[in-house]
Amino acid sequence: MDSAKSASGRGKDLIYRQLFQQMPFCIAVIDRDYNIVDANRDFSDQFGEWQGRKCYAVYKHLNQPCDRCPSVDVFSDGQARATDAVGVDRDGRSTHYVGHSIPIFAEGSAADVKYVLEMTRTVAGTGNWQQEYQILFDRVPCYITIIDRDYRIVRANEAFRENFGDVIGLYCYEVYKRRSSRCDNCPATKTFRDGKLHRASQTGTGKSGQDIHYVVSTSPLRRTGEEIAHVIEISTDVTATRKLEKQVIETERLAAVGQTVAGLAHSIKNILMGLEGGKYIVSLGIKKGDSEMINEGWEMLDRNFTKTTSLVRDFLSFSKGRLPELKMVRPADLVSEIVNLYRDIAAQSGITLKAEVVDSPREAPLDPDGIHTCLTNLVSNAIDACLIGDQKGSEVTVRVEDTGEKLIFEVSDNGSGMDYDIKQKIFTTFFTTKGSGGTGLGLLTTRKIVQEHGGKISVESRRGEGAHFRIAFPRQRLLSLYQTGKETAVEH
Amino acid sequence: MAKKKILIVDDEPDVVKWLTILFENNGYDTASAFDGSEGFAKACSDCPDLITLDISMEGESGAKMYKKLLENETTAEIPVIMLTGASPKLDEFLARMRGSKRPAAFMEKPVTDSQLLDKVTELIG
Repeated sequence: MDSAKSASGRGKDLIYRQLFQQMPFCIAVIDRDYNIVDANRDFSDQFGEWQGRKCYAVYKHLNQPCDRCPSVDVFSDGQARATDAVGVDRDGRSTHYVGHSIPIFAEGSAADVKYVLEMTRTVAGTGNWQQEYQILFDRVPCYITIIDRDYRIVRANEAFRENFGDVIGLYCYEVYKRRSSRCDNCPATKTFRDGKLHRASQTGTGKSGQDIHYVVSTSPLRRTGEEIAHVIEISTDVTATRKLEKQVIETERLAAVGQTVAGLAHSIKNILMGLEGGKYIVSLGIKKGDSEMINEGWEMLDRNFTKTTSLVRDFLSFSKGRLPELKMVRPADLVSEIVNLYRDIAAQSGITLKAEVVDSPREAPLDPDGIHTCLTNLVSNAIDACLIGDQKGSEVTVRVEDTGEKLIFEVSDNGSGMDYDIKQKIFTTFFTTKGSGGTGLGLLTTRKIVQEHGGKISVESRRGEGAHFRIAFPRQRLLSLYQTGKETAVEH
Repeated sequence: MAKKKILIVDDEPDVVKWLTILFENNGYDTASAFDGSEGFAKACSDCPDLITLDISMEGESGAKMYKKLLENETTAEIPVIMLTGASPKLDEFLARMRGSKRPAAFMEKPVTDSQLLDKVTELIG
């Protein structure tokens, strides 16, 4: 060995030689052509015959250099590296080892790397432990990758390889997302920077081009006292959960459409009965020469034509078939807007309208126009209920609360309230208690908008004791719709 | 011979007005009610020969009133024409009525004057 031979005296040479042989881990010296020029006893024991062979043939039984070779990097920049790899031992068994690749410079040079010293140690003391570790790594039901500081994948488990293909040596961002540069807000970057665990919700692209939704957590991989050389990325695939979530929202949407169509048919049939009646009375009046009867029939016809016009107008506005246009808004602003809009109208009828904001709600992805319509409907209904209730000290409160998991809007009043029968009908038919003053579409529209946001509307009320409407939006659903919306926008 | 009496129960004022004129012009007496509870009270007090009954009403429903009619001795035999605007409501009603005496007729809105008169004549002459 050249460096050893340069040491002065045969005594020292002998000491270095014995030290080299007896070190309790595998050592191999590699030249620029991947030839193993020397190796110690442990190396021979672990990997077998090495004389006259290439490192990749001995370590991994390959017939060409590995995709990512730490020695090539060390030859190129003279910097030592930590390695972490799976090789094949002398008996053909898979063996996981970690090691260091250290440059040996030509005499008198600090830049010309002549050899690379590879010192490796198998990770497991026993074959069983190693095998169990490997099974756990490959079979655990999530994706695991280890990336180096250049964001190249140095290891990936079986689940990951199945969905993303053969990825060793590729950049994580090109594998996960088919990008040519690092992602914004990358959790691995944060972990490399602060050594802490980070989490993020992401959408990637599988090897067949399919969308893969996953939640990734990144943690540092470093040996005591050393800087973070690698980051482990563990991702849970939530694609199926996302799909189910979308299906639930779609089913609820379809159920709402079904109920709406049934309600519409009911209203139209009643209008047709009115027209049929009007026609009959006019004809009878003409036959009898009874002008009063003709007038009565004509009024009935007129009333039902007007009803048709209002129904069609309201229904067109109700049936605007669109997905909610979600954008990040401050929920408290939506509440203040409605309260400011209705405060004077309410005050004129002696009703106090109040806003209540609980737990400073965070921004949320909502369709501001849609939520405005919902709150407008609920507040105007609440004011009407107070007018019918006709009691002193009438009050309507619009409240918003953030529980972290849910965003909740509430509209309460101390007006006339509703009994059980009415409560059963308000969201399911074109129901109105306002006679010819309403089409019964207000709460249906409200419910439709709420369902399009993946939310739920409910009511608590008793006759004479006011009403309490509650709209609850699960934040996870809002987020899921928001991400879908953004992806759809990009696709178009 | 005394005129036969028809009780019209519907929450739509225009329907009540039309049927009242239609039946009276064709030789019947009428009474009317706007929900199930008022309808049942009139069925007991006026002893009508036939009832036209809307299923879905704002107050007490037609289904509930029909059940009360069956449970009452003086009203159980009165023929009832169920008028319905919404098919799902009818299915729901039929499911609930399984095992009980069925109404004399079902008619789905909108009905014409001749369809309704034909049915009434068939039932009470």
